[in-house]
Amino acid sequence: MNKETLTNLVKDWRVALLLLLVIGSLVSIYLAPPNPEKGLEGNLQFGLDLQGGSWLQMEFQSVVVAYSTDGSVGDLIENLRTGLETEVIQIDENHLEIRKNVSRADLEPIFAASGASIVTYQEGVSPFTADEVKRILNEKVNALGMQDARINLLTPTGSEYPQYVRIELAGVDMATAQEIVGTQGLFEIRVQTTGNETEHVLYGDQITSVGVPQRDTYGQWGVGFSLTDAGAEAFRAAAIESGAVDNPNAHHLVMILDNETVYSAPLSGELAGQIRSGPVSSLSASTGTGDSGREDAMTLQIHLRAGALPVKVDIVGSGSVPAALGEQFKMTVALAGIIALLAVGVMVYYRYREPSIVLPMLAVNFAEIVILLGISRFIIQLDLATIAGLIAVVGTGIDQLIIITDEVLHEGRVPSQNLYLKRYGRALRIIAISAATVVIAMLPLALMDLSTLRGFAIITILGVLIGILVTRPAYGKIIMAILSK
Amino acid sequence: MEFSGYDINKYSPRQMVALPLALLLLALAVLGYTTLATGLPLTPGIDFAGGTAVTVFTSDSRETIEATFAGYPLLSVGEGVGDGKYVQFGPMDDDQYRSFSALVNEKYPGAKVDQIGETFGKTLQSQAFLALIFSFIGVAIVIFIAYRNPVASGAIVLAAASDITITAGAMQVLGIPLSLGTTAALLMLIGYAADSNVLLTTRLLKRKGKFEEKLSGAFRTGIIMTTTTLGAIVAMWVVATAGQIQIISAIASVLIIGLLADMMNTWMLNAGILKAHIFRSGKK
Repeated sequence: MNKETLTNLVKDWRVALLLLLVIGSLVSIYLAPPNPEKGLEGNLQFGLDLQGGSWLQMEFQSVVVAYSTDGSVGDLIENLRTGLETEVIQIDENHLEIRKNVSRADLEPIFAASGASIVTYQEGVSPFTADEVKRILNEKVNALGMQDARINLLTPTGSEYPQYVRIELAGVDMATAQEIVGTQGLFEIRVQTTGNETEHVLYGDQITSVGVPQRDTYGQWGVGFSLTDAGAEAFRAAAIESGAVDNPNAHHLVMILDNETVYSAPLSGELAGQIRSGPVSSLSASTGTGDSGREDAMTLQIHLRAGALPVKVDIVGSGSVPAALGEQFKMTVALAGIIALLAVGVMVYYRYREPSIVLPMLAVNFAEIVILLGISRFIIQLDLATIAGLIAVVGTGIDQLIIITDEVLHEGRVPSQNLYLKRYGRALRIIAISAATVVIAMLPLALMDLSTLRGFAIITILGVLIGILVTRPAYGKIIMAILSK
Repeated sequence: MEFSGYDINKYSPRQMVALPLALLLLALAVLGYTTLATGLPLTPGIDFAGGTAVTVFTSDSRETIEATFAGYPLLSVGEGVGDGKYVQFGPMDDDQYRSFSALVNEKYPGAKVDQIGETFGKTLQSQAFLALIFSFIGVAIVIFIAYRNPVASGAIVLAAASDITITAGAMQVLGIPLSLGTTAALLMLIGYAADSNVLLTTRLLKRKGKFEEKLSGAFRTGIIMTTTTLGAIVAMWVVATAGQIQIISAIASVLIIGLLADMMNTWMLNAGILKAHIFRSGKK
C-alpha cells in the first residue's frame, strides 16, 4: 500500500472514527487522569472478584400492600400495628408499607376485620424507605472512612418496589463487612443541669419505635419516637429533677450518638405541662420549618435509630475474595484474553494465508477491545463475568469480519467499486440482523436489576453496537483499499 | 480450512434434518425426564438452589478437605490444574453458616467464598427464566421482521431453539448445572446461532446464482467463522479451568457445546429445510 492510499484511508470518516475512538479510549484509560502507579491497568474499574473485597446482599423484611377500604385508614393501620406488632406506614393514598415479612394469607383476616381488602401484595419497601436504608448504610460506611463502597437497591423485574440492597466493600473481609452492616451506635439522651454540665437520662435501648419525619400544623418538621414505660419514667424524673420542666430554656435535652451531640433543644411548654402530671411515652423532636427542617428531621431520624435500619434485613447472599486471589484471577483472565486473541489469529491465518487480510482483521478486532475497555471504564466494573462477555464479543466480532471478507472476496478479487459496495452492503445486512438479535437476546439480562450478569450483558450489547457502528464499516473500507491495490 | 468429509450438497433434505431432529428429540427427552423427576428441566447450581461455593488454592488433598468440612452439607470437591479446588456446599442455616464461615477463615484465609440463600436462589431462578423467555420472544420477532418469510424465519428460530435445547440436554448429561453464568451462555448462543443461520439464509435467498454454489460458499464461510470463535472460546475455557475461575469455565463449556450444536443445526437442519423449501417453490 503506498502513502497516498494510506492518507486517503485515514481521511475516510469510518477509519478516522475508529482511530479517534481508539485514541480516545487509550486517553480515558491512561491519561484522564494519569494513573502511572497502576501500570497497565490505568483507570480501568475492577469488580470485587478481581480486586478483593466483600459483598452482602440483604432482603428487606417488609411488604407493600395496595388496599381498598370503606372504613377509616387510621383504624386499619392501628389494627395492623397492634395485630402484627410492627411499624405500618402509609406510602400514598392506597398503599401501605408493613415492615414485617408477613404472608398475604396472614394479612387477609386483619384487613377483613377492619372492613378493608387487599388489592395487590408485593414484597419490598417503598422507594422512600429504600433510600433511607441506603443513606444510613452510606453514613455508616463513610463514618469508617471507606471510600470504595457501593450500595445498590435492587428491584426484581415485575415488581415496583425495591426488595434487596446490595453492599460491596472493596478491600474488606467478610467479618468486617458484617460488622459494619450489623452494629448499631450508642445512642443516649442527656439533660443539661447547670451550665454546660449534662446528666444521663436514658440510652437508645429505651426507644421502642421511631417515626418518619412529619410536619405539624405550624409547618414545623419533627420526628416522633416512643419510649418504654421505664424510659418514660426516667425521662420524667430527669426533666423534673434537672429543672427542665420549670425552666426549659436553661435545661436543654441533648441527644448523643457515639459521643457526638446530634440534637439539643428545650422541652416545649406543652410537653413540660404533660410531664408534670405524669410520664409521657410518645415524644417528638422538632427540627424547624422549610427544607432545612426537613433535612434535619431526616438526619435526626437516622440518629434516633442509632444507625439501625428502619426495616429488618436478612442476609440472603454474601461473598468475599481476598485481594491476593483477586490479583491472581486478574492475571488469569488477562492470559485467557491474550491466548484467545492468538487462537483467533492462528485460525484466521490458517484460512486466508494472506497477511494483508489477517493483520487488518486482528488489528480491527484488537481496536474493538480497546474501545470497549475505554467506554466500560465509565459505566461498568470489569468482573469475571464481564470479561467472559468481552471474550465472547471478540468471538462474534471476528465472525462478522469473516462474513465481510468472504462476501467481498467472492469469486476472487473485487473487479469494480460498484460491485464491491453491493457485496459489502449485503454483508452488512447479515451483520445488522445478527447484531439486532444479539442485542435483543441480551437486553433482558442487561435491564434486570438482580442479575450479577448485568456486566456480561452490557459489554456484549456494547460490543455489538460498536461493531456495527464503528469497526465493521472501518474494516470494510480498509479491506477494500487493500484488495483494490 | 476445508471439511472435505462433508459435502453439503450430497444429501437430500430428509437426510440432512434427520440427525439434528433426532438429537433434538433426545435432548427434549432428557430435559423432560429431569423435569418429571425433579420439577426443573436442569439441575440448578448454587446460584439457583442456594448454597456456598469455596474457591481455594491449597495443597490439601480432597480427603483432607472432606474431613475438614465433615459436619457441613458438602456436595462436591472439584480439582483444577495445580492446587486449585472448588468446593460446593448445600444451603445452611444462619448458625451453621456462621461457624462454617469461621472455619473457612481459620483453615483457608485466602479462599473466595460465595453464598446464596435458598429462597433468594429461587428468586434468581424465576428472574433468569423470565430473561430467557423475553430474549427468545424478542429474537423471534426480529427474525420475522427481517425476513418476512415464515419458512426461512421459522427455520432460524427452530435452529436457535434447538441449539439451546440440545446444549441444555448435553449440560444435564455432562453434569454442568444451570447457574447465572450458564444461563447467560445459553442466551449468548442465540446470538451465535443468529450469526451463522442469518448468513446461510441471506446467502441462499438474497443472492443470485446456482443453489449448490451458494450453499457450499456459505458453508465454507460459516465453518471458518464458527471454528474461529470456537478457537477463542476453547482458549478461554482452558485458561479459566486451569486457573479455577469457575464462572468463566462454565460459560465457556456451554458455549463450546452450543457452537458444536449450532454447526449441526445450521448446516444440516436449517440448510435442509431451506433446500426443501427452495426446490419446492421452484426458484433455483
